Amino acid sequence: MEPQPKRRKESECDFDSWVAYPVLSNEQSQDTELIEAFAAPIINKKETSRLIKELAKVYPLPGLLHIKRVRSCKDKGSPHPLEVIVCLASDAPVIDHSKDMHISDLSSSGRLNCEGLGDPFLVKIPACPPLTRPQFEQASKHWPTSFHEDKQVTVALKGQLFTSSQKAKMQEYMMAAVAAARAGQQSGMEAVGAAVVDPEAERILAVGHDCRKGGHPLHHAIMVCIDLVARGQGGGAYTYDKYPACQSVLPYSSPSQKQGASTMTTCGVVQDGDSAEESGQPYICTGYDLYVTREPCVMCAMALVHSRIGRVFYGTASTDGAFGTKYKIHAQKDLNHRFEVFKGVLGQQCEDLNRPVPYIKMNS
Amino acid sequence: MGTENVGNDVVSRENFQPCAEDIQRWMANAFDMAKDALENGEVPVGCLMVYNNEILGKGRNEVNETKNATRHAEMVALDQVLEWCRHRDLDPRTVCERTVLYVTVEPCIMCAGALRLTNIPLVVYGCNNDRFGGCGSVLDIPSADLPHTGSSFKCISGFRGEEAVEMLKTFYKQENPNAPKPKTRKE
Ligand SMILES: [Zn+2]
Ligand SMILES: [Zn+2]
Repeated sequence: MEPQPKRRKESECDFDSWVAYPVLSNEQSQDTELIEAFAAPIINKKETSRLIKELAKVYPLPGLLHIKRVRSCKDKGSPHPLEVIVCLASDAPVIDHSKDMHISDLSSSGRLNCEGLGDPFLVKIPACPPLTRPQFEQASKHWPTSFHEDKQVTVALKGQLFTSSQKAKMQEYMMAAVAAARAGQQSGMEAVGAAVVDPEAERILAVGHDCRKGGHPLHHAIMVCIDLVARGQGGGAYTYDKYPACQSVLPYSSPSQKQGASTMTTCGVVQDGDSAEESGQPYICTGYDLYVTREPCVMCAMALVHSRIGRVFYGTASTDGAFGTKYKIHAQKDLNHRFEVFKGVLGQQCEDLNRPVPYIKMNS
Repeated sequence: MGTENVGNDVVSRENFQPCAEDIQRWMANAFDMAKDALENGEVPVGCLMVYNNEILGKGRNEVNETKNATRHAEMVALDQVLEWCRHRDLDPRTVCERTVLYVTVEPCIMCAGALRLTNIPLVVYGCNNDRFGGCGSVLDIPSADLPHTGSSFKCISGFRGEEAVEMLKTFYKQENPNAPKPKTRKE
């Protein structure tokens, strides 16, 4: 998009006013699933290492490598400083619940020498290894759990993944999408806008808005953008000449172009045969980011999978959204391309697009 | 054309179903297209959209020539239907609501979304699409609760399914003799 330093109020908007949060997979965001197990205090500390060895043999815990078998219970006022998982409740023999339970009930016909163990009690332990710090903190409340932290996810969940200068860029790109949405709205379309960005080159490659009212029910902003990127690389199935706010720009294909200012062209004009030919694949959005004012529908989300988009940033959630609300297409098992999605970029401005804004002049 | 009773379109849309002979006939046509594609070294997928006993759209995958990864056969065929409506100044919605998609392979998630958004009431297909299938294989878009994404639609699946799989296998064997177990894919 051509630079337009003082256009509208939101260009002065402070980028501390929004936070980009990651849209994680269900596995990463769901509550910790718990299963029941029998634990017992170690009343004779000298037996500890023998007990651990024997328990591993008699009651192995396959699939629960994240569970620490022994915990210290220092702040429980217990006379015994250690407690150990004896077995999963599902592995225990059928127990007469009318009587108090005794540790010998779990001896597995004498295979386990219960010497040094106190009477068992039920605990709940996390069934799966925690994937995120919130899951780890939740799991640890129940039983000590090991955690291989993905630091990037932790930072992202705090909303601190992006530096101020990255956020400034992200805001610039989303503002291009917001401006396109407004322009589309001016020509009677729904106010949704999108931009495809080459993050390496820090350039916007295509900007588009919803074009459904123009006679095509599938011309959502993202579908328009994908086709504009294709057109920018010598392909494309449509022309959007009627809509001046839908534009594509040549990707860098030669060093001389790299030095020059970005050459914005209306879509019909661009022809660039070489650059896209190299791979022979139509995965034209590989390595590119998409900015869109609201969460995409399932068609657009899958179109981005087919196009091998790099990352997606959206402003606000939508009712049937496919990147977090109804589906998480970017993290869908079985699909061959996964990517990161962030929401909340310029959230308020994107939210404002849902309200009718009559007669705002867009000329600069 | 355009003589449908639009007044009770909700009822007619839900009860809308062509007779068994029609389904046979149009699917045979779709399979002929797929065979033809196979013989010409193209992805063997046949896809047609039929309205009032007339073929309005006949798509084939145009991903490579457009460099647009969304140009699946179904999307191309839908465009032809819309074009047909534009020429006759008909409301696409009323036409699409009586249009059936016959396709040899299950539509992908994107195309299933597009079929909802255009209010296509019925899709008849051959084999499953394990990699991208949007009508049950990966996700079930036609019957999903998506009140803002067009209307749900019905599917008749498994029509000459094995034959459709065989054609795809043949194609991917030709394309890459060293390929591992071929999957039903449409790209
Ligand atoms: Zn969409
Ligand atoms: Zn498809």
